[in-house]
Amino acid sequence: MIRDIFLMSLDALRSHKIRTLLTLVGVIIGIGSVIIVTTAGSSVRLFIEEQWNIFDPTAMVIGIGTASDPPQINFREMGFTDHDIEEIKKLPDVKEVAPIGLLPLKGIKLKEGFLKWQSKAGGNMYATTPDLLDIMGLKIEEGRTFQNKKNEVVISKSMTQLFGKDKQLKVGDTIYIQRIDGKLIKSTIVGILKEGESTNALSQLTAISMAGPVDPYYSSYFGSNVGGIFRHITAYGILYAEATDKAHVNDAKNEILSYLNSKSDAINYKNKNSDFVVITQQYIISKVDQIMSVMSMLITSIAMVSLVVGGIGIANIMFATVTERTREIGTMMAIGAKRRDILSLFLYQSSMIGLLGGILGCIIGASGGAFIIQILNQYLKELGGTFSSGNIPLIYSTQWFLIAVFFGIVIGIAAGVLPARKAAKMDPVTALRYE
Amino acid sequence: MLYIGELIKMPSEYIIETRSVTKTYKMGKQEFRALNGVSLSVKKGDFLAIMGPSGSGKSTLMNLLGCLDRPTSGEILLAGDRTSDMNDNELAEVRSKKIGFIFQTFNLVPTLNALRNVALPMVFGGISKTDREKKAYDLLKKVGIENWATHLPSELSGGQQQRVAIARALSNDPLIILADEPTGNLDRKTGEQVMDLLSSITKDGKTILLVTHDHSLKKYTNRVVNMLDGRISGKA
Repeated sequence: MIRDIFLMSLDALRSHKIRTLLTLVGVIIGIGSVIIVTTAGSSVRLFIEEQWNIFDPTAMVIGIGTASDPPQINFREMGFTDHDIEEIKKLPDVKEVAPIGLLPLKGIKLKEGFLKWQSKAGGNMYATTPDLLDIMGLKIEEGRTFQNKKNEVVISKSMTQLFGKDKQLKVGDTIYIQRIDGKLIKSTIVGILKEGESTNALSQLTAISMAGPVDPYYSSYFGSNVGGIFRHITAYGILYAEATDKAHVNDAKNEILSYLNSKSDAINYKNKNSDFVVITQQYIISKVDQIMSVMSMLITSIAMVSLVVGGIGIANIMFATVTERTREIGTMMAIGAKRRDILSLFLYQSSMIGLLGGILGCIIGASGGAFIIQILNQYLKELGGTFSSGNIPLIYSTQWFLIAVFFGIVIGIAAGVLPARKAAKMDPVTALRYE
Repeated sequence: MLYIGELIKMPSEYIIETRSVTKTYKMGKQEFRALNGVSLSVKKGDFLAIMGPSGSGKSTLMNLLGCLDRPTSGEILLAGDRTSDMNDNELAEVRSKKIGFIFQTFNLVPTLNALRNVALPMVFGGISKTDREKKAYDLLKKVGIENWATHLPSELSGGQQQRVAIARALSNDPLIILADEPTGNLDRKTGEQVMDLLSSITKDGKTILLVTHDHSLKKYTNRVVNMLDGRISGKA
């Protein structure tokens, strides 16, 4: 008998297709957006976890700035000296340290002389040690890395196009680099970096286009001087460091901070109000995760509102249906339907709307999720850099589909309770007389 | 005072017995007495017409006999069962097992075809699908519209719809069939066919109560009860 009453409620839905469809929309939007959010969430999370596995989780950036949350590094505040780098290297949980000397350029040209600058933008180059490429996980695709105290640079793949496609830069080419202070340095390109192969989330902050040794590019540069013109001490704004292993990242961070805050040169050179800041990869990834969960919470709460509105829609249409079918209800009671038969007839009907809304919402959510992942992947490609090599996988979280369908039914039942009770409580005599 | 019949179920020749039944409706602060002491006995196999002008209480009596409502006072016995003080579920059970309804406006479920409309009381009666579909088809055959079994009510004429309704009223093998103005929405010729069908049913031993104010229908019945102002007037 339950099966028959169930089938009858299906008939009622089928006989009002448009009404049923319109009622479904609210539930579909609600359930669909939950599925989209959870699909995007689980896919991106897996992507980040995968990247995290490729990433060298031991890397960190050391700078001067504000130790707030999130911490801020002021790239222009110089303070770390070569002596500091030596001392940090000696710390027990630190494996490697490399400086980054930020070198603003006036331009780059192919020939010496009073020619017009041929490069479009000066940009920056990094003066550093070959260790930096290791810490950042950058690989040389062609040629070799630069050597200290030589006029050698490595450039990124995109830099080879600096002078256009027909004048592509190659290993062994000579270029003239002019610093912002006017000094012209004749340099040889010794290596080309492999594109998008960095395993370091931090390198997203400082994408390398050109790098060379500290000496000669940075050591005689006025921007590197701290403590007044007579001291002439070369100092850096940023250091890259690597911990000995994943488990000691925080130890290394604490050792570095305690050294910097006690015996370092940098403590004398930095502004009194500035702090030393160490940002680990773990921190960056936890931030990404945090942003994602805030986003998904936001969208989920919007979806909840839409589900509630959908539920109200169901309740509304069910009340209308009950009123419209008053005489039918009276008839059914006359021919032997008990109150609970009438109750279940309408409860089935509303829960079927919920179930259908849940299923359709899952289908629409699944395709919407796939669409969003596709857009994200396209965006990653256009963004370039570290993430462009990866592809966000499409991961559906099965439990959310089940939860969504279950939720659809629950909303259907909840919305149907009052109208169904109204129907079941009708007086058969009055109901039969209803016009 | 207790009646003997309440202590021991005495086999009675009457299928319906009412004793001093009253029904009072409250309309705001005003009380309206629709039935004012109705005592009526109906024998098995009777084709009884209840006649009277509108407001005479005939529909109220019909609702009480049909177990759609309970009297304010007095008692009603249907085949020996006291229905006058049953609860909602017990009344539904009696309607499901012992009573068949035929309405002026047919009252078929618009989303179900003729066959499933006829089978509907058996759904609530808990009869298996194959049994009830076979029985529903036989009943459609009996009322002569088995060829319309798969049609929806909206695809049937008034006379055909009323035949479906009669088949539906028979589907639970009721003791009593209550017909409220069954020809009221039909033309004269179709109405006569429907009445012929009903009188043939009484020959199977069913008891039919017909509520009408159409005097031309008297000829189909074997007994007439006239009602006026909530009472039975004339011979009862």
